[in-house]
Amino acid sequence: MKNLLSNPQLVLVSRVFIGLLFIVSSLDKIVDPSAFARAVVNYGLLPSWMPAIIATILPWVELLCGFAVLFGVLLRGSSLLLSTMLALFTLAVISALLRGLDISCGCFTQDPAAGHIGWMKVVQNTTLFVLTLFLYFSDTTKFSIIEYLQKSETA
Amino acid sequence: MLLLVAAALGFIYTAATEKGMFAHLPPVPPSQTGGLLAPAMISRDQAQAYYESGTAVFVDARHEFDFKLGHIRRAINIPLRMYETKKSILDAIPKNRLLIAYCDGAECNSSIELSVKLAKDGYTDVKIFFGGWSEWTASNLPTDKTP
Repeated sequence: MKNLLSNPQLVLVSRVFIGLLFIVSSLDKIVDPSAFARAVVNYGLLPSWMPAIIATILPWVELLCGFAVLFGVLLRGSSLLLSTMLALFTLAVISALLRGLDISCGCFTQDPAAGHIGWMKVVQNTTLFVLTLFLYFSDTTKFSIIEYLQKSETA
Repeated sequence: MLLLVAAALGFIYTAATEKGMFAHLPPVPPSQTGGLLAPAMISRDQAQAYYESGTAVFVDARHEFDFKLGHIRRAINIPLRMYETKKSILDAIPKNRLLIAYCDGAECNSSIELSVKLAKDGYTDVKIFFGGWSEWTASNLPTDKTP
């Protein structure tokens, strides 16, 4: 396990995958925060004043964390934020499924006609959650902006 | 730190682009209301909040046929063209009760015209849910069918 956490290539691939994924998924939410707020409302878990605030802030958290993970800046903090968000998203999806709700996820597109939530979404989110935890515990800064800055300081 | 920056960017961006919680609902031109000032418009979030609080009566301005196919749960139907014959449905409702008029959505103006008629008839708290039936169903909010 220690070897995996220190494997620079594996960490780089995970960083690029998670980083790009969250950058892409944030864009539709930033462009149409009202549609994202409606998707949040559909889960029926929050008081009515909260979805608008979540729709204003959360897409930008995803975007910034996506860039941070991609470039290896503030990697631990951003991957911890992403794993916390993924854990909450997964719990929300499970709760909606258990209540028999047939709603769109609001994950990557805000089109209400897009695919609805299902247990596959739970598996998908759990996989992403494990990947973000992997990044949190990884202990290599290779191929990151941090490594680049350290090299240029010592040069 | 990331959270604070994200929150700041989020609020600045949505305020600057007037999206999301900072969106302005379109004003109603007097040409659509017979020169009268139309009641205020409310967003889907506000309509949902009123619905959940149970304080409002939703008034469906669409044709009876469309109403039977589906409508906002607990809504009453007063098709705009049948206003004079159907408005007796409202007799049991106090004049100060909140009434929310709606129709199909952004493509129709029946809700605006109905709200003006309701206001003229003495209802003091009338609002328009301009997103209407299309926004309500797109958000999977509670609906009913009339057999």
